[in-house]
Amino acid sequence: MTDMLCGYANRDETIVAFLYDELEPEPRRDFNAHLLTCTVCRDEVAGLRAVRTSLARWEPPALTSLQSTVPETSRSAWWHAVPAWAQVAAALLFLGVSAGIANLDVRYDQTGLNITTGWMKPASAKLAAAQTSEGGTKPVTNQSPSGAPWRADLAALEGQLRAELHASQASAPAQVRAASSDAETLRRVRALLDDSEKRQQRELALRIAEVVRDVDTQRRADLRNIDHTLGLVRNDLGVEVMKQRQSLNLLYRASQRQ
Amino acid sequence: MTWTDEELVAKSIRGDADSFNELVLRWERPIYALAYRTIGREEDARDVCQETFLRAFRALPGFRGQAKFSSWLYRIALNLCRDWIRRERRTPVVQPPEDVDLLELAAAAEPSESIEDLVARQDLSRVVERAMALLPEEQRTAIVLKEYHGLTFQEIADLVGCPLSTVKTRLYQGLTVLRRELAKNPRTKGTIL
Repeated sequence: MTDMLCGYANRDETIVAFLYDELEPEPRRDFNAHLLTCTVCRDEVAGLRAVRTSLARWEPPALTSLQSTVPETSRSAWWHAVPAWAQVAAALLFLGVSAGIANLDVRYDQTGLNITTGWMKPASAKLAAAQTSEGGTKPVTNQSPSGAPWRADLAALEGQLRAELHASQASAPAQVRAASSDAETLRRVRALLDDSEKRQQRELALRIAEVVRDVDTQRRADLRNIDHTLGLVRNDLGVEVMKQRQSLNLLYRASQRQ
Repeated sequence: MTWTDEELVAKSIRGDADSFNELVLRWERPIYALAYRTIGREEDARDVCQETFLRAFRALPGFRGQAKFSSWLYRIALNLCRDWIRRERRTPVVQPPEDVDLLELAAAAEPSESIEDLVARQDLSRVVERAMALLPEEQRTAIVLKEYHGLTFQEIADLVGCPLSTVKTRLYQGLTVLRRELAKNPRTKGTIL
């Protein structure tokens, strides 16, 4: 790196703009011309280009998709998460509300079983009202206790049915709340499972890394031992060779004397 | 058919959740990379990325399209990174593990790449990461936005809220520090002049 100075106007900003190709054509021409004569700037541009090349090697770790973070309620098939009992409750609620709106009316009298819906009076009721006004008699519904043998039972049944409908209407928000809290619980459990899986993967990686380190340490120790043993063998061999050489010398000298 | 970000935003505002999912798919990787390179911790970067999209989802009805959707996301992510750095009261920490993470290695290996090449590539990546961690937050952010996200000087100035010349100065100073640091390291000094 060079520590010399160059007096080019706005030098630092120009170098950066030149590096990232954001210099206007005219200043670019000027700076190119300057680079031909200024080794300080030329070296610096080359050095910073090399830094940019190194920066390109920096890769962040892989990312698993964040799709699970999008709020569950915004998914199109959210009802798949609602349990069957909650769906049945919702269906009952719907029937109850429909029946209430339709003004369901069940009657059993001399004409038989009558089930009517709607807010208009049935024709038979109008007829009965007409008879009452003309003949001064009591309405058909109260004409004779024996004329409507199941009236009391039916009235009780109707009352019970209405009470149940009201009760199911009242309990509906609680059921819906229970369903949504159930979905919330499922989501939490899923998140916990994800976390646990990640932890296990991390621990597994750690264990594998430990095993690799142990194996490496053992390998180094073995290599040291082998090296040491070889050294000893080499020494023994050297001593042996030296002895033999000395014996040969002695023999040679003895033969020379003779 | 490929929708533009702005079209997907409009559809999301009208309640189409799939459109927002598409935006997440399109932008999660750049936002995560920005967070990771700014704060240097994998888990925290993931949290920042997640929080960015949650905030964007909540604030979507208020998004008026004055800026590009990506710039808006970048701003949310950068603010969260700044909050993280202030909360932790420290500069980003790069914490490469002492031992080689084999699972990570296996996942990162290119089919034709030898294990030596892979380790060398990762080593170089860590050297750069460590050098980046030495930079002050402003210089690091400028380099990350310019180098890895290709923003113009003007876009960076708008995002971080400073004059254009300041962005250039931060980039120059940051690159100069990196040059000095990389020249010291045995793994990179041969390539840095």
